[in-house]
Formats: sequence, structure tokens, C-alpha cells
Amino acid sequence: MMKILVVEDELHIAEGLRFNLEAEGYQVEVVETGEAALDLLMAPEAPFDVVVLDVMLPGKDGFAVMSELRQAGQFVPTLMLTARGHPEDILKGFAAGADDYLAKPFELAILLARLRGLLRRRDWLRAPVNHTAAKSQPPDTFTFEDKSVHFDLLELRVRDKVFPLTLMEANLLRYLIRHEGRPVSRKAMLENVWGLHEDTDTRAIDNFIVRLRRYIEDEPTRPRHLLTVRGVGYRFVAAPK
Amino acid sequence: MISAGRRKSIAFYIAFGIGLILVILTLYLGWVQLNWRHGALLVLGVLLLIIIISGVILNTISLVREIHRNEQKDAFINAVTHELKTPVASIRLYLETLQTRAVDEEKRREFYRIMLDDSDRLLATIEQVLRTGRMGAAGRGLNLVRIDLTALVEECVARARALHRIAPESLTFQPGADVSIMADLEEVRAAVSNLIDNAVKYSGKNVNVRVETEPLDGHVLVRVKDAGVGIPKTELKRVFRRFHRVPGPLASRVKGTGLGLFIVRSVAKRHGGRAWAESEGAGRGSTFFLQLPVAK
Repeated sequence: MMKILVVEDELHIAEGLRFNLEAEGYQVEVVETGEAALDLLMAPEAPFDVVVLDVMLPGKDGFAVMSELRQAGQFVPTLMLTARGHPEDILKGFAAGADDYLAKPFELAILLARLRGLLRRRDWLRAPVNHTAAKSQPPDTFTFEDKSVHFDLLELRVRDKVFPLTLMEANLLRYLIRHEGRPVSRKAMLENVWGLHEDTDTRAIDNFIVRLRRYIEDEPTRPRHLLTVRGVGYRFVAAPK
Repeated sequence: MISAGRRKSIAFYIAFGIGLILVILTLYLGWVQLNWRHGALLVLGVLLLIIIISGVILNTISLVREIHRNEQKDAFINAVTHELKTPVASIRLYLETLQTRAVDEEKRREFYRIMLDDSDRLLATIEQVLRTGRMGAAGRGLNLVRIDLTALVEECVARARALHRIAPESLTFQPGADVSIMADLEEVRAAVSNLIDNAVKYSGKNVNVRVETEPLDGHVLVRVKDAGVGIPKTELKRVFRRFHRVPGPLASRVKGTGLGLFIVRSVAKRHGGRAWAESEGAGRGSTFFLQLPVAK
């Protein structure tokens, strides 16, 4: 049975989530503080398949909990849930290592669908048996010059170096690669990669590009693949002249 | 992160102020060396120097204050966003649950109760914000009526017991004065309720709140004593400021808008009374006082 950890100090919301998740057939555990969540998740063999993490917690907040988990090598799929829905907050959540982010008030059906998505992604990543079985399928990779992106493994290989990618970094890269050679606006990226439809400042996306450039480019300050298009956004070029 | 940014900008303005004062002093000393023979000019120069330096200091102080105020406003917006969105999210979650799932009768009743609680919480936040807006608006008169204070406090205590689900022995009321006051019923009710709500909220799990009234030459004192987290000495006055919230881990575990005590103090002032707090320090409980004039 799939086990979900809900970290939420607003008991009404926590209980509402518990009722719905149990009705979906998941096993649910609720904790009220970030410290309690860390205790549970840092334990060896933490038995949780996915975590729903609130940001505004008493004591340690959700961002701090998230980055501590990731730094400690706990990569359990995590969806952050919060009343703070500004793009800066959302990107801060992803920067801390979240796999998905949902602003309160949320739609129940959307929350459940996103959790299902996270569980599915985890299963795909975790199923080495299926990998060998599906070996005839072309692997989900993209190669350019001496670099290759392995979307299924969430890895970027540059010559002999391997960089782990977060889900969002991989998704952003995939989106840029799909539009190879064409400029892509920041707004389009927010809409299509993050699913955000906000008329707010979209500059925070630049942080992600900076990070990707650090992986891909030989000289991150003089990019050849991930080019800035002034006033618009970015453009990916696989084989620059 | 916000406070790091703030500290940086405050440090900048203070350094800027000190820098300006040094420049002025250098110029002045040079000027004295050139003109030391003219006595009258020297006196004039000293006066001007003092004026300029105090101007620079005042300017620096007001800039630092402005930065502080902006930061508090940001924190306030964040807190209000949270206080408004959380109950809406909860109500929405339960409505969607009821709409999409088969829920048995007992659960259904529980969900209705939770949703009613959340709408109360939402309403309380909205009222706090609107009341603060009204307090700031000049010229709004008080609707003065004769109020039986004992009955009013009794009502607030009963409401708080029901709202926070606490046993009568954890929240007691000892009327010590059978007096009437001439006051605005809505405002005094809000002030007394805010004091009781705060005492309960900052008590943690073991609520032990005592409410008392006491006559005090021409005034009546409402005293709300708790055994909760307490208040450090330096914060005793600040807690009544608008948007102010006690920094530190103990108090930040309690959510709020930073408006409650501001409303209490405003109500007291508008009625010719006052409000203050006493505490033995952090962790040792606190007592809040609301003093109002007795009706003639």
C-alpha cells in the first residue's frame, strides 16, 4: 500500500487531506511540525512514497525542511502546499528541491492528480525490471555534441561527468530542446513547464537557466547552447556553429 | 532573508549618515582654520553646524524607521494572506469532498462543524482588518451606550470557551466590580475578546486563563491573566503597535495578523482609558489590563 506523509499544522486541512487520501486507498500519516517530519524522513528506510509539505509551519518552515531533506540525500517525491502563491515562492520551493508545488486554496482533484503523477514518476524511475523488459523501446535521451540528457534517469552527462537533475530542471530542459533553435518566452516556460498562469514577474526563471548553464556550458558566462534572447526569453541551440 | 536585507539597508543609511557628518566636520574644521579670527562668523558657523548635523541624524533615523515599517507591512500582508487563504482552502476542501465522495452521516456532521469553524475564523480575520481600517479613519464617532460590564465580559468569556473548546475551569471569570460604563458596545466587546483570545492562543496546550474586573477610582479594570509563553520586558510596549509581532520561536508558533492588541489599545484610548501589559518574562505568563472610565 502506498504511504503518504502529510506535514501540515492546520489540523482542518490535514484531516481533510487524510480523509480524501485514505478514500483513495493510500495509507496516511500526519505530522504538525517540520522537525517531526525530518525525524520521520531521516530515519533509514523511511517508509513513505510521497510527502505533502506545507510551507508555513511553526518552527522550521517548509523550505528549510525541503532543502535539509535533499541535502541529506532523501529524495522522496515531495509536493509543497502553501498559501503563498507568488512565482518567487514557487520557484523558491523548487530551488529547495520540491518536485511539485500547489497554492492554497487548491482543487482537490488537481492535488490528487499531481500526487498520482509523482507516484507514477517514482515507479518509473524505480522499476529496473521494467527497464530491461522495455529495452526495445528507444531510451528517453537527447544527445548534443559531447553531452547527453537522460530524462528517464534525471541525469545530464557531460563527457565523463554526471549531473543529477531535478524533475523541474529536466522538464525545463525538455521543453527548451523540443523548441530547439526557436526563442521561448519566460511566460511560455512558466505556463508549459510549471503550469502557472500568472501575469507576474517571470524573471525568477533565470535562476534555473543559470543552473542549467553551469551544467551544460563549458563557459557558463559565455553560453553557446542556452542563449539569452533579449526581451523575450531563451533559445536552445543543439549544435552551435 | 527579509531581515538580512533590511539589516543591510539600515547599515547603509547609518554609514551614509556618519559619512556625511564626517565630511561636514572636515569642511568645518578647514573653515575654522581659515577664519578663526572672525568671532561672530565662528559663532554663526557653530550654530549652522549643529543644525546641519541634527538634520542628518534626524534624516537617518526616519529612514531607518521607514525601512522597519515597510518590513512590518510585508510581514502583515503575508500573515493576512495566510489567515484569509487557509480557512478558504479548508472550506473548499471539505465542500469538494462532500461533493465528490460518499460520506457517512457522522463524518458529514463533523465536516459541517469544521466548515463552520473555518468560516468563523475567516470572519474574525476580516473583522479585525476592517476594524483596524475604521480605527484609522478620522472622525468616526463612538456609539456610546450604557453597558453592564460584568454581563459583557461574561458573554466574551462564554464565546471564547465555545470557540476554543475549553473547559470552564481553564478559563474563569471573577467579577469584582458591578459597574456600568458608557462605551461603544462593539468596540469594547472586540477589545475584551481580543485579550481573552490572545491569552488562550499564547497558552499552548495547558490553558489557564483568569479574567477579573476590579473598580479603580472612577475607572474599572479588566484583567486577563494567563500562564502562557510570557513577554520579554523589551516587548511589553511594542506588542500594542500595529502589525507588531513578538520575534522569536516561541511566539511565532502562534499565527495572527498583529492587529489584535493594536485594536485593544485604540479602543482604550478612544474611550479615555488605557491598556498595558505586565509579564515576569518569557515563559512565565503575562497579564493584560484594560482600564475604562465608569459611567457617571
